[in-house]
Amino acid sequence: MVFRVGKGEAVALEDANLEVMDGDFVSLIGPSGCGKTTLMRLVADLVEPTAGEITVAGKTPRQAREDREYGYVFQAPVLYEWRTVIANVTLPLEIMGHPKGRRRERARELLKMVGLERFERSYPWQLSGGMQQRVSIARALAFDPKLLLMDEPFGALDEITREAMNLELLRLWQETRKTVVFVTHSIAEAVFLSSRIVVMTPRPGRIREVIEVDLPYPRTAETRESERFFELTTQVREALRGAPHGGGAAPSAAEQPLQRTAGY
Amino acid sequence: MVAALLALMYPVALLLGMPLARQRMENLSNWERATVAALPVAEADASGSRLPLGTSPAVDAVVSGLQSGSAVLVRGAEVLATGVTIDGTEAVLPAPLSGPAARLGASLEPVAGPTDMSGRVYALPESAPPGAPLYLDGSLLVSGSLSASERADGARVRFTVPGLADALADQTDTAVAVVGAAALMEGPGFEREGDIVTFARAPAFNAPVRLITGDYAPLDEAAGTIVLASPTSEAPRVAMEHVAVVEGLTGTYDGENRDFRLQHVPLLERDPGRRLYVGDRELLSGDERPAERVDGTLRVFTFASDHGLVTVDGRQLVEGSDYERDGNVVTFAAAPARNAALRQHPDYLVSDASTGTITLAAAPAPGEPVWAGSYTYYARPGCGATAFECFLSMPQHPVPFPNWVAERIVPFFTAYPFSDSRNVIRATLYTAAGTLVSLAFGTLIGVLLAVLFVRVRPFERALLPWVIASQTIPVIALVPVLVAVLGNMGVTVQTSLVPAAIVGAYIAFFPVTVGTVTGLRSVDPLALDLMKAYAASPLQSFLKLRFPAAVPYLFTSLKLGAAAALVGALVAEVESNNRLGLGYAIIGQVQAGDVADVWILLVISALLGIGLVSLVGLLQRLVAPWERTGLAGADGDG
Repeated sequence: MVFRVGKGEAVALEDANLEVMDGDFVSLIGPSGCGKTTLMRLVADLVEPTAGEITVAGKTPRQAREDREYGYVFQAPVLYEWRTVIANVTLPLEIMGHPKGRRRERARELLKMVGLERFERSYPWQLSGGMQQRVSIARALAFDPKLLLMDEPFGALDEITREAMNLELLRLWQETRKTVVFVTHSIAEAVFLSSRIVVMTPRPGRIREVIEVDLPYPRTAETRESERFFELTTQVREALRGAPHGGGAAPSAAEQPLQRTAGY
Repeated sequence: MVAALLALMYPVALLLGMPLARQRMENLSNWERATVAALPVAEADASGSRLPLGTSPAVDAVVSGLQSGSAVLVRGAEVLATGVTIDGTEAVLPAPLSGPAARLGASLEPVAGPTDMSGRVYALPESAPPGAPLYLDGSLLVSGSLSASERADGARVRFTVPGLADALADQTDTAVAVVGAAALMEGPGFEREGDIVTFARAPAFNAPVRLITGDYAPLDEAAGTIVLASPTSEAPRVAMEHVAVVEGLTGTYDGENRDFRLQHVPLLERDPGRRLYVGDRELLSGDERPAERVDGTLRVFTFASDHGLVTVDGRQLVEGSDYERDGNVVTFAAAPARNAALRQHPDYLVSDASTGTITLAAAPAPGEPVWAGSYTYYARPGCGATAFECFLSMPQHPVPFPNWVAERIVPFFTAYPFSDSRNVIRATLYTAAGTLVSLAFGTLIGVLLAVLFVRVRPFERALLPWVIASQTIPVIALVPVLVAVLGNMGVTVQTSLVPAAIVGAYIAFFPVTVGTVTGLRSVDPLALDLMKAYAASPLQSFLKLRFPAAVPYLFTSLKLGAAAALVGALVAEVESNNRLGLGYAIIGQVQAGDVADVWILLVISALLGIGLVSLVGLLQRLVAPWERTGLAGADGDG
């Protein structure tokens, strides 16, 4: 089944059967247009599917959203420019009606965690891109959701900052033991961060392969130079390349072609 | 920057003002007039071939225009000699004059009056010929006075007499003024400084105000009295008969030529004082109309005289080809157009006033002189000798020189105390208050409309055309309606801020609506997704996202609105006849014509506008400190 929105190009998302365990760090990797972002937005109930079934923590995506089960980190930091750094972090807590003193305490805690405690009174434009993205991660963690949806959060950063951010994210994940679904274009990033990598193919978008990442923890800068790291990156690369167009794995019974919204 | 702008005002003022000044200078109706009259010989008993003419300005004026040998010596209307030349202050005759230059009559009768006037006021004998010269101790007295440029209105005491300072420069005696038919002495009667004369008592309504600059001036024409500039013990005597030098017209005296020229030009076309003579005969000036109506078909017309020059609409016709004459009946070859100005000039006509050319109806006999007893001409531009002087004396300059404005600043601001409603600063504050009130209303209405439009789409579709249409109505047409409505509601619009507040709000709400709608719609879709991800309520989403995102847009449009609201408030003040604000002051000054004051008001209005916009900017800094000013102030938490 295919549904169309506006004049958007109809790209199907098929065979998107995937289960994510508690405490998993799952990366979705694939070329542009394979429906990674759509999948994320479906999970977050930012778009609605016309068919198919998604459960988040045993609930429908809408129920999960209304129960504030997840935090979402966009590719752009999406900070509110009229709010200071700390006010941006407390935003979800304000909306959820937490008492003022508690939310500031919590925001300070999180800013300290992302190393920005000195910038709490700054405005977003006074921060670098990497710092802004760290604020946005702190904001996503503010209300302590079980699930963290991260849609190419480091896509706009340079390689050096991105690697530093990777280390930091990994540390955060290990501290908080959140379930993370992470969209990326970078094979190295996927391998370095993930416990599982979901390789997707485009047109129509489908899941090609799921690769378990058995790199030991704690992962450090040296991990990137280990032999196993190279083997895994090669495996992911081959999975991406080997995916035949429009064929490959047999479609599952719950075949769900979906439209990818324009702009994401 | 400001200095450069001020410096630029000088060339701009000249560029715009000089063409107007030139026009003003070239307009003959603004020119000062001067009269050329016969020059009586200065010594009553002079005789021989050199006659003294005296040294008065009148002599200089006539003599300077005379061509060599064109002067004529006359006694009354009788020509005594032609070919008279002027040598310095003497007339040189071709043949000596026999007998004295003037035959003097009886002494004038002293007139009793105020003691300080004793020995100054005299009555002319009834037998004296009109305009006859006066001699004191055998020497000619020169009549002369200058008139004030202002009209007496019964209250004015300060008068300007142009040229007075120059005319009285070497006068040591106290000056004498003639007001109506009364003479006043300097000191008790008036004070004099330069060209300015200040009277102790205001001259009566419409009384002519003059200052004596010659030896005497006529005091009361009807009673035949004169007043002397200096008191004398001996009474002056009037000349019953006198010899005078007059201007002979230039031209060819060959018995055929009929065109002659006067020396002082341009001539007045209609000059009741013009006296021209051929030989001993005075020419009739003026013209005759035909007895018949010019109806476009009639060709035969009857005039009073049986001779003369015929003109149609000022164009001279040729006897023989254009018309035939039979006595005083003139028959045209073609009927003159209906209502054409058909005239007969019995003796002469002014054929070219600018060159002083006249055309006689009949050529004078050879040797018979044509001479001018008196005539008036345009002597010089009234506004000044050069276009630049005319520029300086212009009553209304398009753009003033900055130094004129600077001179006006202090008197402009200190003319009235602050407690007086005419005080400029008070008026400025009044208008500022009106504008601020209107801006507050306009913002409230504008933001409410914008929120309504964004939240409820059908409202936008229904109301937006009306909102746009409201701005196409010129405010200037709307205010009288508003004033009438408010007047009927019992609001005293002349002293109320309400019209200014309503009109300013009417203008200001529109940019605020447009800006706020744009701002509310400008929100990043990802930021909206974020709100959705937090399951925020629509109200939370509006208060925490849409509205703050619209604030910079709101302030930008508020700045536009502030400037526009000021215009609205000024227009409202003018049209509601509210004299408490700046708007009325501006219009009043434009009408009063003081361009320096207009410019001061312009600068005040500009500063007021800038001040209001800056105030909005200041408010923006306080309300929206996140704008990239480099100042990280309050945080937006809570």
